[in-house]
Amino acid sequence: MPRARPPSKKPRWSLRRFLWLLALFALGLGLGLAGPWIGWLDREAGQRFGDRQWTQASRVYARPLELYPGLAMSAQRLERELEAIGLSAGDPASVGRYRRQGDGLEAHVPGFVFGDGRQAAQRVRVRFSGSAIAGLETATETETALVRLPPAELGSLLPLDDRDRTLVALAEFPPLLVTGIQAVEDRQFAHHHGVDPRGLLRAAWTNLRRGEVVQGGSTITQQLVKNLFLTPERSLLRKLNEAVMAISLERRFSKADILEAYLNEVYLGQDGGRAIHGFGRAAEHYFGLPVQALGVEQIALLVGMVRGASWYHPRRNPERARERRDRVIDMFYETGLIDEGAWRRARASGLGLGLPSRNGARRHDGFLDLVARQLRRDYRDSDLRGTGLRIFTTLDPVAQQEAERALAEGLTELERSSAELQGAVVLVEPTSGEIRALVGDRAPGRFGFNRALDARRPVGSVIKPFIYLLALAQPDRWHLASTLVDAPLSVAVAGQAPWRPDNIDQVSHGEVALMDALARSFNQATVALGREVGLPALFGLLEQLGVARPEQAHPSAFLGAIELTPLQVAQLYQPLAAEGYSTPLRAINQVLDREGNEIGRYDRRLRPVREREALALLDFALRHAVTDGTGRSLSWRLPEDPGVRGKTGTSNDRRDAWFVGYTDDWLGVVWTGRDDNAPAGVSGSATALPVWAELFSRLPLRTVRRNWPEGLEWFWIDWPSPQLAAENCPDARAIPFVAGSQPTARSPCLDPLPDESRRWFRRR
Amino acid sequence: MMISRYRPLVLLSLLVAGCATQAPAPVDERIAAEQVRAPAASEARGLQVFALRNPAVAELSQAALQAEQDGDLGRAAMLLERALRIEPRDPELLQQMAEVRLDQGQWEQAEGLARRSFDVGPRVGELCQRNWRTISVSLERRQNPQAAGEASQRLQACQVEAPPRL
Repeated sequence: MPRARPPSKKPRWSLRRFLWLLALFALGLGLGLAGPWIGWLDREAGQRFGDRQWTQASRVYARPLELYPGLAMSAQRLERELEAIGLSAGDPASVGRYRRQGDGLEAHVPGFVFGDGRQAAQRVRVRFSGSAIAGLETATETETALVRLPPAELGSLLPLDDRDRTLVALAEFPPLLVTGIQAVEDRQFAHHHGVDPRGLLRAAWTNLRRGEVVQGGSTITQQLVKNLFLTPERSLLRKLNEAVMAISLERRFSKADILEAYLNEVYLGQDGGRAIHGFGRAAEHYFGLPVQALGVEQIALLVGMVRGASWYHPRRNPERARERRDRVIDMFYETGLIDEGAWRRARASGLGLGLPSRNGARRHDGFLDLVARQLRRDYRDSDLRGTGLRIFTTLDPVAQQEAERALAEGLTELERSSAELQGAVVLVEPTSGEIRALVGDRAPGRFGFNRALDARRPVGSVIKPFIYLLALAQPDRWHLASTLVDAPLSVAVAGQAPWRPDNIDQVSHGEVALMDALARSFNQATVALGREVGLPALFGLLEQLGVARPEQAHPSAFLGAIELTPLQVAQLYQPLAAEGYSTPLRAINQVLDREGNEIGRYDRRLRPVREREALALLDFALRHAVTDGTGRSLSWRLPEDPGVRGKTGTSNDRRDAWFVGYTDDWLGVVWTGRDDNAPAGVSGSATALPVWAELFSRLPLRTVRRNWPEGLEWFWIDWPSPQLAAENCPDARAIPFVAGSQPTARSPCLDPLPDESRRWFRRR
Repeated sequence: MMISRYRPLVLLSLLVAGCATQAPAPVDERIAAEQVRAPAASEARGLQVFALRNPAVAELSQAALQAEQDGDLGRAAMLLERALRIEPRDPELLQQMAEVRLDQGQWEQAEGLARRSFDVGPRVGELCQRNWRTISVSLERRQNPQAAGEASQRLQACQVEAPPRL
């Protein structure tokens, strides 16, 4: 317990302590300022204060939200974003409050130091139209194109000790805090030389008169010395050391240095296992605000806590904290620091605590785990620990909540039997590779095994699109309408019994178009195609897309007997969703050191995939899989279909279920199954897809018109064997081809009655 | 933010024309300006396509251009990154980022961004020219003269005569 000073315990003992102190102090001054021991203490204090290094945990932030007219963002969603960054409902005249008014919302967002400089606190008025932002207004500008909100704090990483602190420079503290702390703790601070004999006498006299300790005689400097250098035990010797060291500090350092250190060091309560030191962190912890944004009553509450942070803890002992706070507000008024109006308002206000401890909530541990891994990959641990980095990540806090909820609710709904289903979700912005949400356990907040990063599970049919991609990359051999044969087959395997893959419905479907074989996920047709393109080619492609080559080369890999993590699957699909440009998935955008200098940045890196035309064809086929194939049920699960492309996957004996789907803005991977790898009765379309659909139904989705790559042309095709047709031919489908690869046969629908068809065309 | 009197109706990206004809930027890295923008602007004939821009994106892009002219390429890249988060498929933004990468000597990134800009862009006119010039320069710098030459061949196809007005 670093600082607990319950004021009314052991009065006689403390009284004695003060008398002793007086006597000793006089003795110390009289006898030995020049004594070697005091000389040593003096040097020690000076050196240790001069060399002190504040350790700070590294703070991790979500992506900052950029508001602009046209952004798909409802008022409700914006409220959730604001609450994630620590604002609460109230009068936007004060920083940290927002209010809904009619079809608008006004918020007073706190200032924040970004990588590109400090952004001051500002009042923002947002007008909505439907579920989009219609206009923005700030105090200085009536129509603003862009407002960047401060990012939500997700938690901290890599502390050196169990102290949590946010360093603040003296000039950055609100003036009332700087003067108020002196008014309450040490009124002579500006004048004394480390110890305050008059204050000590006055305190002793008051205490003597009341018969209890009501005033402490320690100066701010003494309190700082005690916190920094000494053990909390109460002894004569320590008290003397404290006085000598305090005088020593005052001799060597400025009042400003000492006060700044004090304001950053003073103990102000616990956050779980970590001690909160300094007003900077305390403001964030208790009010969810930067210290600059605190109001009179909030400053008074924290100043009052200095005397005993657990005794006056506002959550555990709200009555006592309130009483103490009001006493401090009175002192502010008595000493002329605030006027009567401010005094009245402050006394009338509640404690105004923000959200409960954000570190304690452990909400984002799955994602922080990934952040920590990416940091360790790129930096030495010793460069990171205790250095107070600020890490700007890619997380979207509201999407994260939605992903957690979709998984939790989806699995609960599905569990009719006693199966203990687990799951994971990865949500990515495909063009930048930024990871927007990551869920590694169905229970939000529970943290242990991170399935999104560490569960390596067979991917089933999720692998199939890559076989088709390899085929489509050879346009002289295959196109989307090529005929595949879905029939029983036997594949020889060296040293093993031949492998005889079956379809999930135990039926062979005969001749099918390539795009239908993928959309309906026919196993036999896929294996037949896979044998043509070859296992080495498949493994080579996986490697090229950023996933390590599987060790064993059994042909069952064509049906997804390859174990991958949900994050790896997201990496595989990223270039598909990003129209042929691959980029490594990342959780971090920027890393700043404590002074705000950039020490790392992770920009988008676009690498064009060679098979971009084939990818566009595959994209078309994956759309077909959603509208007419295994993903059909999406049509009634998603209220408005923004053009989802996707693929289901189910592993042997229904142990694993996957759904991977993307729109122009989002790529989502859902895995469900059991931790013990037992048959779970799951399937891609019945288990994973509903979770995915639930998540996507809550994301703001927009449809972007897609530009097809240059070398593609569209043709109308009809069957039995693929042939050129026209729009008016029965059952004809418009299909893209790599120019020149389209079939040459002409449909009978075209030839016998060319005039007829032309006339038909004219009539439309 | 200094540039915010931007009106949402702006059609022409003034910045393109502006920067191409202005005095050279006071930095050493002028590859983008001298080998991409200036020739693209001077040879721009025929059909030009200018998309409506999101004002937020226009503001960031303008600020990035200013940063670039001030020689602060890192800041320019950061501003463009923010803009791309808003409009990941804006061809003008992608090309602007490609040119910053060119000036930073990140040839491979410059090429990737320029190709992406071409894919999502109008594929004609001045932007198309800048796309292929960037690709060509970045290939040249990576000692691939043959591919660079092929990229230069593509410049002609950027010039499409504007359809006669009806």
